[in-house]
Amino acid sequence: MENVATGETQRAAELPMDNDAFAGFYERSARPLWAYLARVSGDAALADDLMQESYVRFLCAARTWDGEVSGRRYLFRIATNLLKDHWRRAKSTSIEEIPEELFAASPNAGQIESQAVLGPALAAMRPRDRQLLWLAYAEGYSHREIAEVTGLASASIRLLLFRARHKIARLLREPAAATAQGRTQ
Amino acid sequence: MMLRPCPREREVKEQMQRGLWPDGSAEDLRRHVSGCRACGELVVVMQAFRSARASSVSSANPSSAGVLWWRAQLRRRNAAMEQIARPILGAQIFALAVTIAIAVILAVSQANHGLRWLAWLKQLGQTPALHFENLWSSALAMPQWGLMLLIFGLAGIAVLGGVVLFSDRQRQ
Repeated sequence: MENVATGETQRAAELPMDNDAFAGFYERSARPLWAYLARVSGDAALADDLMQESYVRFLCAARTWDGEVSGRRYLFRIATNLLKDHWRRAKSTSIEEIPEELFAASPNAGQIESQAVLGPALAAMRPRDRQLLWLAYAEGYSHREIAEVTGLASASIRLLLFRARHKIARLLREPAAATAQGRTQ
Repeated sequence: MMLRPCPREREVKEQMQRGLWPDGSAEDLRRHVSGCRACGELVVVMQAFRSARASSVSSANPSSAGVLWWRAQLRRRNAAMEQIARPILGAQIFALAVTIAIAVILAVSQANHGLRWLAWLKQLGQTPALHFENLWSSALAMPQWGLMLLIFGLAGIAVLGGVVLFSDRQRQ
C-alpha cells in the first residue's frame, strides 16, 4: 500500500519537461519575460521575484508541453496574472480604479532605464495599457495572442490597443508632456 | 476618437519586425508613413518599444534554471503529499465524529443509572473505605489489585505514546 502511494506521489511530482529541456526554454525566454515584467511594473526587484514565481508555476502546472511558442505564451499569461495579483494586493480595489501614479516607476527602475524616452511615457499609462502595448509592440503578439495572455476579450483588444497607442505616441512625441502627466496623474 | 486603422499598417509592422525599416523599405512606403498619422504613430511606438526591449533584455540577469527546477519539483511533491494526506484527515474527522456519537449514545443510555450512581457516591463518601489509609491497607492485602493497576497504567501510557508518535509522523 505504501509502495503504491509512493509511486503515485512520484508520478504526481513529475514535471511536464525534463531538466535539460527546461534549461533551454529558460535560457531563451527568461530575458524577454524579465523585460516585460520590469518595464510594465517599473520595478526590477519585483520583476525578479515575479519571474521566478512564474517559472515555478509554469513547471507545476498540470499541462502537457506543446511547443515553445505556446509555452512562452502560457508563461507570459502566468506573469500577467501575477502582476495583476500584485497590484490587487497593493490596493484592495479594482485595478482599473487605481490611479496611475501608484504604479509610476520606482527609483530602481531608473537604474534599468537605458532609454529615457519610454520610461516617463510608460509611467503615465495605465498598467493594463502598458501590458497591452508591451505585448503588441515589444513582443509582437497578435490580438488573439494578447487576448489569450491577458484574459481580455479578443474583440476589445483592438480598441484598447488603438487608444493606448494613440496616447503613448503623443507622450513619446512630447516627452515634457509625459513627464508632467506622470507627475500630475 | 474614431477607430481608423490604415490598411498599410501590417506592411509597416512586418518591415519593422524584420528590421528592414527604414533603410530596407520601399520609397513609397516611407512616403506613406510620413503622411499617414496611424502609420506614423505605429513607427514611433514600435521603435520605442523594440529599443526598450533590446536594452532590457541585455540588462536582465536571470537566476539559475536549476534552482527554479528543484523549487518547482519540491512544490509539486508537497502538493502531491497533501493530496494523499487529505483522505486520512477525512478518516480522522470521521472517527472523531463516530467517537463523539458513541459517547453521546452511551451518556443517554446511562442517564437512568445516573441518579442511582449519585446516591451510591453519597453513601461511599460516608463510608471509611474511601479513606487513603484504608485503601492502602486493602491494596496491600490484595496484591493482584496493584498488579492490575500497573498493567492498565502501562497500557494507557503505551496507547497514548502511540497516538503521539502517529500524530508527529503525520505532521512530518
